[in-house]
Amino acid sequence: MPTENPYLLFDVPGGRLAFGDGDLDIWAEHLAWCYRMMGIPDGATIAVQDFGSSPISFLGSSLLMPGLQRGVAERIEGRFICLDASAERVTLTPALLAQLAVDALVIREDVLELLSAELHKKGFAALAQRPMKTIVVFGDEPPALNPGRLQPSRHLMHVESALLLAPQCVKCECFHLREGFYQVDGRIIRNLRLATPPYELPRGELFSPSHCAAGIRDWCIGWSPRERGI
Amino acid sequence: MRDTTSSCARSEALETLSGAQLTAWQTGRLREVANHAYREVPFYRELWDRAGVEPGLLRSIEDFARFPTISKHDLVQAGDCWTNPHQGSVAFSTRGTSGAPLLVWLSAEEEEAYIQPTMRGFRWAGFRSGMTALLMSPVWHRLAACEAHAIARLGGRCAFFWGSMGTEYTDSFLHTLSSARPEFITTTAPFLLSLIRRTTGAPTRPHELFKGVRSVVVVGLPLTPRMREFLRDRLQVEDVFERGGTQEGAATDECRWHTAPHVHEDVCYLEVIDDAGIHVAPGSRGRLIVTKLSTAGSIFVRYDTGDIAAFAPGECACGCGFRRLKIYGRPESSVLVGDRLVTAYDVRMCIEEDPALVGRNVLLIREANARAGVLTVAVEGDAHDPAKLQARLRERLGVATSHLVWLGDLRVNWGFRQVLDGREIRLPRS
Repeated sequence: MPTENPYLLFDVPGGRLAFGDGDLDIWAEHLAWCYRMMGIPDGATIAVQDFGSSPISFLGSSLLMPGLQRGVAERIEGRFICLDASAERVTLTPALLAQLAVDALVIREDVLELLSAELHKKGFAALAQRPMKTIVVFGDEPPALNPGRLQPSRHLMHVESALLLAPQCVKCECFHLREGFYQVDGRIIRNLRLATPPYELPRGELFSPSHCAAGIRDWCIGWSPRERGI
Repeated sequence: MRDTTSSCARSEALETLSGAQLTAWQTGRLREVANHAYREVPFYRELWDRAGVEPGLLRSIEDFARFPTISKHDLVQAGDCWTNPHQGSVAFSTRGTSGAPLLVWLSAEEEEAYIQPTMRGFRWAGFRSGMTALLMSPVWHRLAACEAHAIARLGGRCAFFWGSMGTEYTDSFLHTLSSARPEFITTTAPFLLSLIRRTTGAPTRPHELFKGVRSVVVVGLPLTPRMREFLRDRLQVEDVFERGGTQEGAATDECRWHTAPHVHEDVCYLEVIDDAGIHVAPGSRGRLIVTKLSTAGSIFVRYDTGDIAAFAPGECACGCGFRRLKIYGRPESSVLVGDRLVTAYDVRMCIEEDPALVGRNVLLIREANARAGVLTVAVEGDAHDPAKLQARLRERLGVATSHLVWLGDLRVNWGFRQVLDGREIRLPRS
């Protein structure tokens, strides 16, 4: 069912997300759940290097979107740092990380290389050794291992057009498709909470519920170590 | 509920106060902010103790002028000493065009205060209930974060394109423009100019894409009168408005008279000072000093932005009592030629007197011979009446020599800096 009276429209690669009354809080709650699944504690300071039209950014706080009663920052009682993912802004991130210790840096995979290069170029390599979790956001499959880049602590699967947000679990290492949010039919994944086109998983292995105690009713997506670039 | 259509009675009443009444109101707010900063923020306490000023004795705007000005460097160096216990939980980065970037915090209370002037500016620019607005990314700037809230409270719908404000995202912007059919747009002027350049000569002309758009509100580049006409003409929109603001709290919007953007004096107190720190008269240029009239968020008291600005003399025909301020540029969009500081805005004003040159990208080139009074300007496209233009630059800007470089087919992205170091660009021989 399409969203009734949407007041927020976000064009994303391959589609559009339309939100009506109450929709944003459902997804902010889900994103906060994703962070917890990836081991981010309540009270954390999370810096997000993504575009403003990405839910990973705009669900960050109620200050960013009208109608969002509690964003991620309010739900985990933490702090949220807005870092736009344009190349110009990525070059500023090392200097910002030097000013403020963050618990998690969430970054789009396509700008990870640029940030890694900036960290090396500007002599901020030590920053990468801080106890900061680096969460790399990817689309269809996890990026290949690249020793020259900032090493991810976790990955977050994000297919924008389907609003598919699947965190890499700290227990089973697989990507959880949260029960009640996504339905799996063969390799087709359907969003149960927002009108979006179904997503066909091109690669990876699907595990039916009961796979992991961290989400006993969740389907999980697993990639072989090779596919995960390990 | 934060996002309901709420009464704006207080801010509307402030708009119609006399100058003296507004000054009295602002003095009260400044006292409150200064007392809070002294009590809660060690950086200010130490600074003001050293300077021998006491917030408790702040009785007038003149008293406030005795407080020392501060710079971005001071705040970066201050680190945690600059922390405000009520600074909030969301931070934005400054662009870092004038050195290290700074993290600026926003709280719900402060944002609430800034949504009201955003609504005011959007009403001035013609936004009406039921319209759709295509907005800038909410994570781009703290003022951009207020925009969607303002649109929702004015009864509108918000649309966002994928990506950011770089030229590589113009296609994405055009896609949303054609599918969401907005009546109202906020964007940056460099982005809009890049988009016009990109679509010039394309099968679909810019004005066809902007069909149905009534107002465009731009930030990031001071508009010259001819540039505004150029944008209106190319896009065939009803009007183009200049919006201004800094992460440090300055907020300005143009009314329909376009004489200069009004300062939203209910959220910020702005000063323009000369090199001796003395307030300059309206009409005269100086450095812009910002004080945010809020005890929430990051605290800025007499922050020297480095911007070159001037208050407009007289009153505005619109009836709003808020002063008008034109920001002409920043150190990074200006060049010192001899002993004169020349802004990119000043150069564009000269160049655009020739209608054939309006809309072309213009860059100031910072070169060693600037000290000797040589102004070097690079202009997009082929040469056009260069002798006349050189004479105009010399005469209007008071420089000894002007040197023009015509960029021909070389395309340089429209940006916020507008000044390049001579070593950054290989210029064609003129």
